[in-house]
Amino acid sequence: MEEERLWKFRKPEWLNSVWARNAGVYGAGGLFSAAFYTLLDSAVWSKSAANSSSVHVTFVDWLPFIFSTLGMLIINSVEKARLSSDSFSYSGSGVAWKARVVLFLGFAALAGGMAGGVTVFVLKFVVPSVAWPAMNMGVENVVANALVGLSTVVLWVSQNIEDEYAYNLAL
Amino acid sequence: MPQAGLKTIIALSFVLAVGFLLVILSCALWHAYYPLLVVATYVMAPVPNWICSHCANPDDFVESSGAAVLDLGRFCTGFLVVMGLALPMILAHSGIIEVPAMIMSVIGGLLIYGTIISFAMFFQEEQEF
Repeated sequence: MEEERLWKFRKPEWLNSVWARNAGVYGAGGLFSAAFYTLLDSAVWSKSAANSSSVHVTFVDWLPFIFSTLGMLIINSVEKARLSSDSFSYSGSGVAWKARVVLFLGFAALAGGMAGGVTVFVLKFVVPSVAWPAMNMGVENVVANALVGLSTVVLWVSQNIEDEYAYNLAL
Repeated sequence: MPQAGLKTIIALSFVLAVGFLLVILSCALWHAYYPLLVVATYVMAPVPNWICSHCANPDDFVESSGAAVLDLGRFCTGFLVVMGLALPMILAHSGIIEVPAMIMSVIGGLLIYGTIISFAMFFQEEQEF
């Protein structure tokens, strides 16, 4: 393991604990929940009496979030151990290649969702120069997609911690 | 971790009662009963963890499918906990409930969830003996 290490700095010891991994997974769930309810907040506010403008949240505003979520689902469904298959002899029949293609699709969906959020924000809120309390709906769209990306990163990192933990235990 | 004695149980039930009091007051004072959803959320929060811990095989270290199911349960629990915080904020932001009702229901919900978590911790500690 030590000879295969790529980076100059090693991971701190506390990152390899079960506690850090579980906290990461809980945190990822919390971040995803924050993303979903940020977007739901904009939708509820759009239909409530507080919204006096003529701008409303429609299906178009939800579409980037759906793509981000799809990307997150794909990315975190791939078995991470199959990615580095050059060190495993039993998974040589193109599994790593397939995993990389699927992972690429996942990251494309995630980045597409984030770009879509910015697009909706610019085209629907910035260009028609919507007044501020209604502008909040566009900002929340961007924030929600960014939170989904952050949640994906946290979940990915904590699942990699899990692999290190299992390796330490196998020794 | 101290042994779960009678005093702990009394204190926990007292905290639980205060939490329910806050949530119900936040509903009844303003005649808007949406904050009751917070109670349902926090009662539901440990359920995914519990189900997935029964589905997974914790001895399975080589193939990490067991850990994946456990992680799914933890993800859903984290989702539900933040949902309990986010629901009153959404309702207050849209003017469906008042801001004091939001504060009361958030504090009450946190008290209820803290009671559930600490009760589960004490219970697990007893199981190990």
